[in-house]
Amino acid sequence: MKKILISLAVLLVAATTVQAGPEEDRMAFIKYYKGKFPSVPRDEYANGAYAIDPIGRENWEAIEEFPPYEPFIDRGQEMWEKPFANGKGYKDCFPEGPAIAQNYPHWDREQGLVMTLPLALNQCREANGEKPLKYKKGPINNILAYIAFQSRGKVINVEVPKDDPRAMAAFEEGKKFYFTRRGQLNFSCSTCHVQNTGLKVRTEILSPSVGHVTHWPVYRSKWGTVGTLHRRFTGCNKNIRAKPMKAQGPEYRNLEYFLSYLSNGLELNGPGARK
Amino acid sequence: MKRAQRWAALAIIFGLMIGSTATLAGEMKADAATAADAIARAEAAQKKADSVNGEWRDTGKFIKNAKKAAEDGDYAKAVRLANKAESEGNLGYQQAVSQSELKIPSYLKAMY
Ligand code: HEC
Repeated sequence: MKKILISLAVLLVAATTVQAGPEEDRMAFIKYYKGKFPSVPRDEYANGAYAIDPIGRENWEAIEEFPPYEPFIDRGQEMWEKPFANGKGYKDCFPEGPAIAQNYPHWDREQGLVMTLPLALNQCREANGEKPLKYKKGPINNILAYIAFQSRGKVINVEVPKDDPRAMAAFEEGKKFYFTRRGQLNFSCSTCHVQNTGLKVRTEILSPSVGHVTHWPVYRSKWGTVGTLHRRFTGCNKNIRAKPMKAQGPEYRNLEYFLSYLSNGLELNGPGARK
Repeated sequence: MKRAQRWAALAIIFGLMIGSTATLAGEMKADAATAADAIARAEAAQKKADSVNGEWRDTGKFIKNAKKAAEDGDYAKAVRLANKAESEGNLGYQQAVSQSELKIPSYLKAMY
């Protein structure tokens, strides 16, 4: 009897401490969107709101015929090829060449943080005596656009290594950020991009979070230029009247880690164009 | 029941009147010292909210404008803006700490 009780107790503890891991999270999101948009194929999620908004999609397809982000790709290629003042260049930091977007974000054991592509680019610059680039607007978008273009077709495969608990902690932080209600409007990312996906906010249809990271940097008509993912985070935080976090600070990088995991299995298709 | 409701409504209106005359009086009395005090309290509340990543978008702007109003000698305006910022700081702090534990919302929870 005693034995049975003990094993029951063990079972109970095990059952309550089993935490949803990254894969369970991803599957839950996919199942949720599948229920909401049963006819949308998986790959379509890489197209954001245009996967679920037929009218917006027509407009977008017309825009993509003469992609507004093209000049930025060209400028980015120049940056990639031009040596720094010390004679070295991006090529030396990233010997596998410009098609590297699929390697980010990843857990960096040595530094104990989530490494994103913009952070890696700036670490490369600083290691070579160059000034870091700004993280939301400006030339960082050129080099990101070039790398994104070169990385088209690569498949997102974010990993949260099980043998380093700090990686899981960072993922959990990002997840927590995603579900935390903020600002005067008391909305979380989930309020708009899960609960209300497909509904209209002003003139825009709310996109699913699966697919949110496939296509950065994005040329936004509203911006009149290309901008980074963290610029977009900033905008979404401001819309709900919350103070945005620092671009490429730990909060947004951890958020990117969580958000990117949700897009595992999708192909990169950046740079993108959005309203 | 109806009468009780009417009384309640009257009480609320009366309360509001007292409240607004009190704030009016407060505004009229505002001087450099009260403005500085209100701004200090607003900044403390803002810091507290920020410490838990709970700061709202416009809190800093209200404080900046409160300081500007105080510099211009418009202490009533300074106090009003600072009070707004203080209240936002407190609300943002509470909002964040009330969610210190991650909860997956029910509409998604059902998918796990
Ligand atoms: C008030 C609702 C709202 C909230 C809350 C919100 N967003 Fe958004 N978000 C939008 C709207 C509107 C757009 C533009 C239309 C679209 O693509 O969904 C957008 C777009 C995006 C995009 C770009 C999608 C694309 O295809 O390029 C990303 C990424 C994003 N949001 C992430 C987030 C994150 C992360 C959070 C939480 C920090 C968040 N959003 C919170 C409304 C919101």
